[in-house]
Amino acid sequence: MPSEDIHATPPAPSVETSPRNQHSHGRRVASWQEHHGWSAAASLRRLASRPLGSLLTIAVMGLALALPLAFYLLLGNVQKLGEALGQSQAVSVFMQPGQSEQQAQLLAKQLGDRPEVAAVTMKTPQQGMDELAKMQGFSTGALQTLGDNPLPYVLQLQPRDGLDAAAIERLVSDVREMHNVDLVQDSGDWRKRLDALLGVGNRAVLVLASLLALAALLVVGNTVRVDIASRSEEIGVLLLVGASGAFVRRPYLYAGIWYGLFSGILAALLAVLIEFALADPVAQLSQAYDGKLQVGGLPLWLLLAVPLAAAVLGWLGARLVSAWQLRKLA
Amino acid sequence: MIHFDQVSKRYEGGHEALSQLSFEVPTGEMAFVTGHSGAGKSTLLKLLGLIERPSHGTISMDGKSLAKIRHSGIPKWRRQLGMVFQDHRLLMERTVFANVELPLMISGIARPERARRVRAALEKVGLLAYERQLPATLSTGEQQRVGIARAIVARPTLLIADEPTGNLDPQLAVEIMGLFGEFQQVGTTVLIASHDLPLIKRMKKRVIVLDHGRLVADLAAQEVL
Repeated sequence: MPSEDIHATPPAPSVETSPRNQHSHGRRVASWQEHHGWSAAASLRRLASRPLGSLLTIAVMGLALALPLAFYLLLGNVQKLGEALGQSQAVSVFMQPGQSEQQAQLLAKQLGDRPEVAAVTMKTPQQGMDELAKMQGFSTGALQTLGDNPLPYVLQLQPRDGLDAAAIERLVSDVREMHNVDLVQDSGDWRKRLDALLGVGNRAVLVLASLLALAALLVVGNTVRVDIASRSEEIGVLLLVGASGAFVRRPYLYAGIWYGLFSGILAALLAVLIEFALADPVAQLSQAYDGKLQVGGLPLWLLLAVPLAAAVLGWLGARLVSAWQLRKLA
Repeated sequence: MIHFDQVSKRYEGGHEALSQLSFEVPTGEMAFVTGHSGAGKSTLLKLLGLIERPSHGTISMDGKSLAKIRHSGIPKWRRQLGMVFQDHRLLMERTVFANVELPLMISGIARPERARRVRAALEKVGLLAYERQLPATLSTGEQQRVGIARAIVARPTLLIADEPTGNLDPQLAVEIMGLFGEFQQVGTTVLIASHDLPLIKRMKKRVIVLDHGRLVADLAAQEVL
C-alpha cells in the first residue's frame, strides 16, 4: 500500500555525512547513470527549445574552430605546392674551363650515381654559346669572332622527388667539393624561404588555434553562465532539497558538451567544404605541373578529432563557469 | 533530539535575528515556533537547514553538532530533512510527479522505487490524480500539498516548515496541519514556523514563542489554550 511507505518509521537521525547504506552500490551506480542520461537528454532538449540562440552559439564556435582548420589546410597545400615546385628545381654545375667532353661525361656519371639525383643532363660549351646567342640577340657569327669558346661544360642535376631543402643543400655542398667543378648554382633558394615561411605559418596556426579555442571556451562559458543565471531559482530549489554540486552542474556540463560537439562537427564540415572549394583550382594548378601537385585534404583522424576536442573544450568551459556560478548561488 | 544552546545569529549589517536561544525538541515531537514578523522564526529554520550558520552557540542533533558538517556535507544533511516553504518552491517546468521525485532522484533511489514512493506521497496529500500536471495548473493549496509531498517523500527524520499555511484558507490550513501531525505520529520530528495563532491553538502542540530573536515563552501542549 502506498500509504504504508509514507508512514514508515523514518531512520534514526544522523549528523554523519556518510551516505546511508539502504541502497546497494549497484543501484546507486544505475541511478547515477540514469541521471547522466537524463541530464544529457534534458540539456539537448533545452538547446532545441531555443533553436536560434543555440544555432548562433554553435555557429560562432564552429567558425572559430574552422578558421585554424582552414589555415592548416592552406598551409598543407602550400607545402605540397612547394614540394611539387621542388621537383622542377635544378642544380647547375659549372665545370672548370678547358675540361674535355670525356671529363664532363665522367662527372655526369659520378653525379648520376648519387641517390639524391634523379637525372643529369649535360650542356656542351657550344650549346651554351647557342643559348647565349639566342638570349642576347647576337648572331652566332658575331660570337664566333670571340675566337675560343670560353664557356664551360654545364651539368644540370634534377634532384629526386620529395627531397627536402636540407638534403638539396647537402647535395650542393658535396658537388662544390668535387674535382673539376668550378661553380654550383642552386635554383632552389626560394624553397628555403618557402620552408621558413611555412614554419612561421605553422606556428601562427598553432597560436591562432589556441586563441580561437580559448574564444570557443569563453563562448560556451558565457552561454552556460547566462543559462545558470536564468535558472537560479530552480538551482536554489535543488540545493535546498539536498542536491550536490555535481548533480546540479551535470545538465550544464552536458550543454557545454553538446555545444562543443555540434560546433566541432560544423567546423569539420566547413573544412571539408573549403577542401572541395579548393579542389578545382588546385587540379588546374596540378595540370600545370604535369599532375605532380595533389590536393592535400585534412586527414580523417583530424576531422574526427575536432568534434571530440571541441566537446572536451565545451565541457571545460561549462565546468569552469558552472563551478564559479554555483559557488555564488550556494 | 534537537538542541539549541545559546544560539545567536547576527546578519551582515549588524541585525541580530536570534539572540542566545536555548531549547530542545525531543525526537518525534511536533512543535510550533511563533512570533511576530521579524521575531526570528525563519532564521531558526534556516539554521536547521544549514542555509545559515549561527554566529554564536551550537545546534546539535542527537548530541552531534551541526557545526561539524562541512560545506561539502550540507547536501547529505539536507537529504535527511524535509523542508516546506510558504512559497512552495516548486519547479514550474516539471510535473507534479517530477517535483516530488526530486529528493529521491538526488538520493540515488532506483526508478521503480521512486515511482512507488512518489505515488504514495501524492496519495497521502490527495494529489495522485494530478501527478502529470504542471504545478501552475494547481491552486495555491494544492501546490502547497505538492511541496509537502516532496518534503516527506524521502522519509525525513526532521520536517521543518516555514509558514506552510500562510496562503491557505482556514479549512485547508487545518488539513495541512493534520498531515504534519500524521508524520509526527510515525516518529518524524516536526518543527513549524507560523504566526497563525488560532491554528496553533487548535493543534494543541508545543509552542516556542520568539520576540526580537529571543525566546519569550516555551509552552507545552497542555499549556496551549
